[in-house]
Amino acid sequence: MDELEAIKVTFFQECEELLADLEGGLLAMQEGAGDLETVNAVFRAVHSIKGGAGAFGLEPLVRFAHVFETLLDAVRSGTVPNTVELAAVLLRASDILADHVSAARGLGDVDMGASAAMAAELETWTDPNAAPAAHAPLVEDAAPVAAAPAAASVSGVADDDAMDDDDLGFVFVPQTITVEAQAADAEPSNVWTVSIRPKSDLYRKANETALLLRELSRLGPIKATLDDSALPALGELDPEAAFVTWSVRLETEEDESAIREVFEFVDGDCDLEITRGEGGVQDAMASLLAVAEAPPVVEAVEPAPAPAPEPIEIIAPAPVAEVVEPVAPAPAPVVEAAKPAAAPAAPAAATPKATPVEVPGPGQSVIRVDPERIDRLIDLVGELVINQAMLAQRVGEYGIAPSSNLAMGLDELEQLTREIQDSVMAIRAQPVKSVFQRMPRLVREVANMTSKQARLVMEGENTEVDKTVIERLSDPITHMLRNAIDHGLESPEERKAAGKNPEGVVRLAALHRSGRIVIEVSDDGKGINRERVFGIAVKKGLIAPDLQLTDEEIDNLIFLPGFSTAEKISDVSGRGVGMDVVKRSVQALGGRISIASRPGQGSTFTLSLPLTLAVLDGMVVDVAGETLVVPLAAIVESLRPKPEEVRPLGPVGSVLAVRDSFVPLIDVGQALGYRDHSPAPTDGVVLLVEGEDGSRAALVADAIHGQRQVVIKSLEQNYQQVEGVAAATILGDGRVALILDVDATIAMRRRDGGAPRPTEPTLIAAE
Amino acid sequence: MPQASSISVLVVDDQLTMRALIRNALQQIGFKDIREAPDGEEALKNLLAKPANLVISDFNMPKMDGLALLRAVRSHPPIRQTAFVMLTGRADRELVQRAVQFGVNNYCVKPFTVQGLREKIEQVFGPLT
Repeated sequence: MDELEAIKVTFFQECEELLADLEGGLLAMQEGAGDLETVNAVFRAVHSIKGGAGAFGLEPLVRFAHVFETLLDAVRSGTVPNTVELAAVLLRASDILADHVSAARGLGDVDMGASAAMAAELETWTDPNAAPAAHAPLVEDAAPVAAAPAAASVSGVADDDAMDDDDLGFVFVPQTITVEAQAADAEPSNVWTVSIRPKSDLYRKANETALLLRELSRLGPIKATLDDSALPALGELDPEAAFVTWSVRLETEEDESAIREVFEFVDGDCDLEITRGEGGVQDAMASLLAVAEAPPVVEAVEPAPAPAPEPIEIIAPAPVAEVVEPVAPAPAPVVEAAKPAAAPAAPAAATPKATPVEVPGPGQSVIRVDPERIDRLIDLVGELVINQAMLAQRVGEYGIAPSSNLAMGLDELEQLTREIQDSVMAIRAQPVKSVFQRMPRLVREVANMTSKQARLVMEGENTEVDKTVIERLSDPITHMLRNAIDHGLESPEERKAAGKNPEGVVRLAALHRSGRIVIEVSDDGKGINRERVFGIAVKKGLIAPDLQLTDEEIDNLIFLPGFSTAEKISDVSGRGVGMDVVKRSVQALGGRISIASRPGQGSTFTLSLPLTLAVLDGMVVDVAGETLVVPLAAIVESLRPKPEEVRPLGPVGSVLAVRDSFVPLIDVGQALGYRDHSPAPTDGVVLLVEGEDGSRAALVADAIHGQRQVVIKSLEQNYQQVEGVAAATILGDGRVALILDVDATIAMRRRDGGAPRPTEPTLIAAE
Repeated sequence: MPQASSISVLVVDDQLTMRALIRNALQQIGFKDIREAPDGEEALKNLLAKPANLVISDFNMPKMDGLALLRAVRSHPPIRQTAFVMLTGRADRELVQRAVQFGVNNYCVKPFTVQGLREKIEQVFGPLT
């Protein structure tokens, strides 16, 4: 049954959310949050997972969730005290529950031994003898239910026995009712409450409430009530101002639009509120929902008046018979129509991509779309951008004046194209939460494995970034966290000896910075042992022993290929791969990674990635007959060097004097292996660029073509990774251009000292 | 004998999965007019805007739980007569007793079969066609 399968997919999606809620709640409990709301949310998460699992006959999951739920129920009712120790156990249980969910989904296995042990542990917490009878559930539904054959009816799992009233211990008598009785009792559906609060403008424009009421009365019998409680004393009365509110009970077969039509000419000159039913219903709602559901119209005006003690009633004349129209179909419910307005509006931000959007809760209108459709849309928009650029270029070649209608139309097209692109990218933007929420478990496990005490603090989970980037964040973050705990944090004993809290803090943060997403992983551990790192790098032949390096450069040696400080390769950070692999995969995404460390105080990994892997603002340049794109984000300025500003440095290198400092000159053509001999820098154009680590370089190019937004085509996917090249793109004229990896180019120069690029990545020591 | 297709139903559950399952079951029974709400608050707004003949509601929900919803429905004259079937995770005596006190029409234990749900509804409205 396809529909059931579809619901099952929904269930597993929902499970992800529920597991995240569960973990979030448990972490809060571990931090000492003992409030009932948190405990309830935690209980509800497990309860919901169990409920859904039961419907689909996922027996092992139901069984484990049941034991879990029973303990949580006891915590909820206060039978089992809510302690930090308990939260730690529950967290481990939530990990196993997550495993069960994955297993039920066909992804991975459950360690049944660990599961049984955990179930037993949970049961020891739930001391049934101590539970007062009133709180203890009398009868459990038969949790381990037989899996239903696929052909069985909907949640065809449980025996009907489960629903026997006998389970209750008392006789339940269903209360019968007839639809007719309901209809008879229900209020006539054609009663409306119309609240009219005229503004002074209404009177100023020579409109009259009486006329409005007369018009209303044409729709059906009305009963108007005047609320004059806001009327000031005569002496203070401003004759030009409006003070009163009319509340009209209208019985009509017409729909809401017909009522609104009456007020067409005073639109904006009065606050109008039309609700179905008696006004009393609205009031009751307001009192029941003490939330911000009250109609915004009322809030917008002057302070709400107290209810009028003696309302004046006016009975309007009977309706004119011939006006009565045939019965109109039932109108759309008023409250529902007002809902979109009540939805929280995301705060406006400069770029749609960076807008922090509240994740809508259940029930808010959310459209689930197949991601493939969005990807296709983004691809198409990418093509549109290229096409638009091509068109603009062609038109430019014909020498059409920029002030001509055609050129202006093209400008508008460009702007629109950009807006479409931004909006489409925003659809695919997701908060990094989905990656972050997997991390607490990782930290627990790694800390356990390495016998360290670690607490994870997360910040900026709602930072949004393109889905393509999200998917690639998980591995580097996992690696950095493992590294921070394994290498960064000291053992509890060492920490105590150093006067620190035995529990180390690992911080994982996401933020937007200058059009990129930055992920920081920091620890409050011992920091990098620079002497040791330097020693290892020398011993492994990665650097020359007499090389002079700054502290920062030493710290970043850990990213060198073949570098690993772990004396024994642990399962934790090791597996043979070091930070160099992480660095390379990050670079492949157009990202950078660096580390900063303070001895005794800890280290911080900083990872920065573009917000999207789909587009890039770049400068198009010519180098040795090739067209290249330099990411605009890296360019500080462009200049034409004067001969006296270029100074030789060593046999092959040279530097450029920029104001007070010297910047190494790098010929891009040479760095990429296009040519062996660089032309004089003074013949070309120099782009002053800055790497992620703040290091500057002057890139020499032959000519600059201008700034352009380009659609990134991964070189890795289409060809293979090339050092110094981040990706490729298609230009307006249809040619393929490579996008320069500025950091890699600077790093290459630093290592090679300006020598022609060898075919294999070189180690520093190879010089 | 009431026709299932002429009875309007509001399904209240915080879980999307459950709402989908209940909707699926109701459709199999023959119901056509099915609306959904994710919690008691939304359900009450929904009912006040447009009454329904039958409410099938979960008990444990955020914001406003099933009991609070039942109470609210019974205290609002225009929708007081709405048939109310409470869904519970287990046959919890205390819970059902309180629901009876507030005027619940019937209750149904999850997980349920289509036939089981049908019987529970028929115990309220009589045999459905």
